[in-house]
Amino acid sequence: MDNTEDIIGDSFLADLDDLSFCDSKEEDMNVSVNYDDLESVSKLQKTQGYLDMMKKVEDKLENKGNMSDLGDDNLEYKLIVECNALSADIDSEIVTVHNFIRSHYRHKFTELESLVPHPVDYAQVVKKIGNETDLTLVDLQGLLPSDSIMAVIASTTSGKPLPEENLKKTIDACDCILSLDLGKNKVLEFLESILGYVAPNLAVLVGSAVAAKLLGTAGGLPALVKMPACKVQLLGAEEKILAGLSSAHFRKQILKKIEKWQEPLPVRDADHKKKRGGGRISKKKHRYGVTNTRELVNQIQFGLPEESFLDDRFGEGYGMLGPSGSEEVRLPIRWRRLVAHFTKKFKDMHVVRSGASTGFTSCQAFTHAQGI
Amino acid sequence: MRLTKKKEVDSVIRDTIDKVLVLRFGKASDLVCLQLDDILEKSVREVSKFASMALVDIESEDVQVYVKYFDITLLSSTIFFFNAHHMKMDSGTADHTKWIGAFQRKQDFIDVVEAIYRGAMKGKLIVTCPLPPERIPRFQLIFKDV
Repeated sequence: MDNTEDIIGDSFLADLDDLSFCDSKEEDMNVSVNYDDLESVSKLQKTQGYLDMMKKVEDKLENKGNMSDLGDDNLEYKLIVECNALSADIDSEIVTVHNFIRSHYRHKFTELESLVPHPVDYAQVVKKIGNETDLTLVDLQGLLPSDSIMAVIASTTSGKPLPEENLKKTIDACDCILSLDLGKNKVLEFLESILGYVAPNLAVLVGSAVAAKLLGTAGGLPALVKMPACKVQLLGAEEKILAGLSSAHFRKQILKKIEKWQEPLPVRDADHKKKRGGGRISKKKHRYGVTNTRELVNQIQFGLPEESFLDDRFGEGYGMLGPSGSEEVRLPIRWRRLVAHFTKKFKDMHVVRSGASTGFTSCQAFTHAQGI
Repeated sequence: MRLTKKKEVDSVIRDTIDKVLVLRFGKASDLVCLQLDDILEKSVREVSKFASMALVDIESEDVQVYVKYFDITLLSSTIFFFNAHHMKMDSGTADHTKWIGAFQRKQDFIDVVEAIYRGAMKGKLIVTCPLPPERIPRFQLIFKDV
């Protein structure tokens, strides 16, 4: 009972070089992505792109000395981006297969997934333990740190051994993860060597993975070099935003916001601003406050119409300054200009005014002209 | 909170401390009253930190004392209290002691309650209505048998 995926898988098998990959020929008729069929879960290693890249990587790693064919800037940057993308793909693939393994192996050993969270380590441990019931017989040296080994051996589980078919699937999936991990290491090695050629100092400074990401996000070495320092900081920010949009985190944020909206309204004026006192603060206030001159301008002599620099009706009044008061008034420049303009335009008005009554002043005008 | 007895009204007025008490006098079957009640109910939680509400049925026998005291007539009237003081609001209508009619929007009601709260916290006994005159319901006083 071969399913169609098997046939396709076989054809890709033929294209392969020296890469080992998982080729679990499942008899399952379930083609949808469920955790019964390893092939539907782990498709990456069958894609042509992956195989091509891995071939390139392998070739380059074998003839290490020959890097001069990377003369073209664009080609290098493109290669870096591809390697980045590939390693990200491998990562997500590892996670998927890890979930697959967990879904089967938790029937056997439930606590293992919390004791050994890392996917690659988990796969190795699962492979070593297999269907063994007595954990003391299993040798986990070198796979895990010793305290983890003790925790694993010490834990008593309620799981039962797996049926033969499931066990085979699980072990195959573990092999899959291990080969993916190997592939990823190869890609990273390759990336390091490229970076060592393209931007060796950058790679040494921040590490090859970070350097690769920087170059990828910036869009090539010339682009990265041209950026001012502030922009370089922002390169990483994009990643942060994407991380924030991961569904669980996003959902939490949304829920928090909704909760805030549903709260009753706050009591007004309940939060009093901290007004500070003291000599220093009051001096600061006075710098922007009302000056003595302005205070005098604001005050008006009782019973007398206010003097102003243009006329009694126009212009800004002097208040207690100027003729009514005892201070000498020096007009600001803009006012002086206005005076010139005004006297030219309205000089006849002066003549008219002294006799006629206007809306604003009384018919008896008390001005300098009258000698007051 | 629905109140039907004078004692209940008394206790509610006395026991609401440091919060505006919104006391609606009206008939639950009246259209305007229903509108008003709808707005009140929608905002009860939102203003819960500085106001609380109660509905009084003017048809009940017990509370006729209050109906007479506040001179409440056919339409629903809302009376505001703060710490057992009767708060008046000048909204441009003839009667400052109460709010007659419904509110057009929930936000209008919340604004009114906030104005009352602010004035009360400052120690005032009468506040001005923050709503523009278009949104204040006006009614004509028709004197019967005068």
